[in-house]
Amino acid sequence: MSTVHVPSTIKITVQRYRPELDDKPWQQAFEVPYHFDLSVLESLNYIKDNLDSSLSFRWSCRMAICGSCGFMINGVPKLGCKTFLRDYLEQGHITIAALDNFPIEKDLVADISGFVEKLETVKPYLIRKQEKPLSEGEYLQTPAEVARYKQFSQCINCGLCYAACPQFGRNPEFLGPAALALAYRYNKDSRDQGSSERMPFLNSEQGVWSCTFVGYCSEVCPKHVDPAAAINQGKLDSTLDYGLNLIGMAGGK
Amino acid sequence: MNRKPYQQPQAATWWFKNHFYRFYMLREASSVPVFLYAVWLLLGLFRLNQGALEFNAWLALNTSGVGQILHLVVIAAALLHAYTWFQLTPKILVLRFGNFRVPDEWVMGGHYVTWVLVTIGMLWLAITG
Amino acid sequence: MNTFKRSNEPIAWSLFGAGGMVVAFIIPVLAIITGFLFVPDSSLRVYELIDSWLSHWIGKVGLFLIISLTLYHTVHRVYHGLHDLHVKGNDVLMLVLFYGTATVLSVVCAAWLLVI
Repeated sequence: MSTVHVPSTIKITVQRYRPELDDKPWQQAFEVPYHFDLSVLESLNYIKDNLDSSLSFRWSCRMAICGSCGFMINGVPKLGCKTFLRDYLEQGHITIAALDNFPIEKDLVADISGFVEKLETVKPYLIRKQEKPLSEGEYLQTPAEVARYKQFSQCINCGLCYAACPQFGRNPEFLGPAALALAYRYNKDSRDQGSSERMPFLNSEQGVWSCTFVGYCSEVCPKHVDPAAAINQGKLDSTLDYGLNLIGMAGGK
Repeated sequence: MNRKPYQQPQAATWWFKNHFYRFYMLREASSVPVFLYAVWLLLGLFRLNQGALEFNAWLALNTSGVGQILHLVVIAAALLHAYTWFQLTPKILVLRFGNFRVPDEWVMGGHYVTWVLVTIGMLWLAITG
Repeated sequence: MNTFKRSNEPIAWSLFGAGGMVVAFIIPVLAIITGFLFVPDSSLRVYELIDSWLSHWIGKVGLFLIISLTLYHTVHRVYHGLHDLHVKGNDVLMLVLFYGTATVLSVVCAAWLLVI
């Protein structure tokens, strides 16, 4: 075992923004007890319980599945529950801010309503031309058919990829990594027949064509969804659709 | 309900914020020397049409000290592009044969093997004529 | 609610993609050749070699694709790069300026190849 100096406390700087009082965010420093298994989310709860009860942040499951506790931690989009103080011992301090690129509702709470709207826009559900009656049973899939979209279905809607995406920061109209990966996930599902309803979104400037393959979205994704791959495979689909449209075969859209 | 969400503006210098963004910008910027090189090749074509002596003057500029330094810049930019390009192609080029998905490493490896063959082939052509 | 209009980006992106392959596979070795191997001498060996290559239609098509796709690839990156850097310009003007330059230079390239 290496002998690292283990402190009893660690300094955490938290971004504050109180809409009723502040015109812009500011920083507040706290001294929080250090323990090797303490997560950033737990340290925020410590601050709220013991130091300043007015601090606001979103959280729920504490196990990286609800997608609520996304923050900028030392400038990197991360889930607070999946990030531990022990990984910042060398840097000696931790700075926590609301997710980049989103409007800040209060303190560490990012306003994700636009993001949720985008998820809804791309029709993220199975679309059938004609539903088969229940008596005929379920829509079957082979493991290979599941493999075509499974990775892209692991998204927990945490929004870290939007905080990582400079094109979303540049143009808030951009549908963004998660929504486009979700659209791609349904387009690649063998049970789905609705890709012609989703292509108009993908084909647009706000769709796959705002992406310049920076690739940071895939880097920060806590679920290894790889939205950059989904978007750029979507560019191939959109290019094919563009060609089909030129010869009048894209269903008139 | 009184809401006053704070809009976080993107600074024009956003790309300076972390290593990942800076490398992205370097990747994009590598296209500038390559663009100039393409224009320079076009100029060489023009000199070729003018005649042998004029073309030789263009060749002499290429292989002068300054010309070679500029060529090294172009080579570095194109190599950086090739490296990043081959990193990204497996993410776009998904090859499936029935239930078999060609692994990303094979797609990338195939590009590198082709790159070596093309490079050797063109060097051989240039040297043996 | 947003309106979603079909983008014409697939044209630019296809040329960008093809050009990306050219820049990755061919430009490094081509720059090694022009910068370090094609040293001119009084025998005019290099001139005659290239002249013979470009007299054949395969040579013409090859050099045309190398130059023109490289131009389309690079202007695409610079065009989007300026957007990234918050450089503002009239949308149509920027498109004409960048992709127009690549197109004009490609036409010039084709013309010069044809007169060889």
